[in-house]
Amino acid sequence: MGVLPSNYYDFFGIEHRLDLDLRDLERRFYALSRQYHPDRFTLKSAEEQQTALDATAILNDGYRTLRDPLARAEYLLKENGFDIGEQGSKNVPPELLEEVFELNMALEELRAGDESARAGLEEARAKFIAMRDGIDAELKAKFAEYDGSRDRKVLAEVRGILNRRRYVWNLVNEVEKELAGAAA
Amino acid sequence: MSYSDKVLDHYNHPRNVGSLDRNDPNVGTGMVGAPECGDVMKLQVKVDEMTGVIAEAKFKTFGCGSAIASSSLATEWLKGKTVDEALAIKNTDIVNELSLPPVKIHCSVLAEDAIKAAISDYKKKQDQRKPVEARA
Repeated sequence: MGVLPSNYYDFFGIEHRLDLDLRDLERRFYALSRQYHPDRFTLKSAEEQQTALDATAILNDGYRTLRDPLARAEYLLKENGFDIGEQGSKNVPPELLEEVFELNMALEELRAGDESARAGLEEARAKFIAMRDGIDAELKAKFAEYDGSRDRKVLAEVRGILNRRRYVWNLVNEVEKELAGAAA
Repeated sequence: MSYSDKVLDHYNHPRNVGSLDRNDPNVGTGMVGAPECGDVMKLQVKVDEMTGVIAEAKFKTFGCGSAIASSSLATEWLKGKTVDEALAIKNTDIVNELSLPPVKIHCSVLAEDAIKAAISDYKKKQDQRKPVEARA
């Protein structure tokens, strides 16, 4: 066994794309799992046994990352220098910030025992879920655009969309936790 | 990771929490957020018309202790400063004052961004108020 590629895409032997055929990925995962299964190395040298263990670790981490579209996008962005980094608010539209702020205010009111905030929060939850669905559709389109063009400008856009998604998603989770907790 | 005493003090006793009337022409509002942690920070200043000095500064931050402390400290520093002096506040000043660890530096960047956004909003409002001929 030679040196193992540490890059997940390279390890799986696939192109560095944002959109992946998940069934193909799964087939490769099973094939590689068999290839590096520790049981097949019990009679080999300690060095080879270690390599098989390392391979299994990369394989599992890689599969977890690549099969999830968001984790995969973060991974590809990172290898292209678009790490989440410290970009401050530059990628978040001001209107979204306003909405996020208002929603946080409503959350705080509900936590303080103000039940009148509940109706507003339920409405906000529906709005943010719709927003997330819109963001996901946008992401899907951008994935295809990048895979077709390999244009770094598209990656910068994907970075912005993912930032927005994370923002919205954190909020939806928090609202759901709060609404469920308050109802219990 | 543990917070410094100064961060804890601002977190437990935040200064100047609240809001100012954003329709007041002498009030500048800055709203910024950090997608990496989901923080959102609103910072407002009210400038005294006669002296050009920041008379009031208010903030409301949803986020971690360092983000709250950074904005709380920022409002303390803003009061009594002119608009230009306010713009000279750097995130590194906040980092030093609060002894923020490297992973929390972005909180101070957020506070600096919030100051800049509030001042820029104030300046925009002031420009709009001036008659066109006086601006030339």
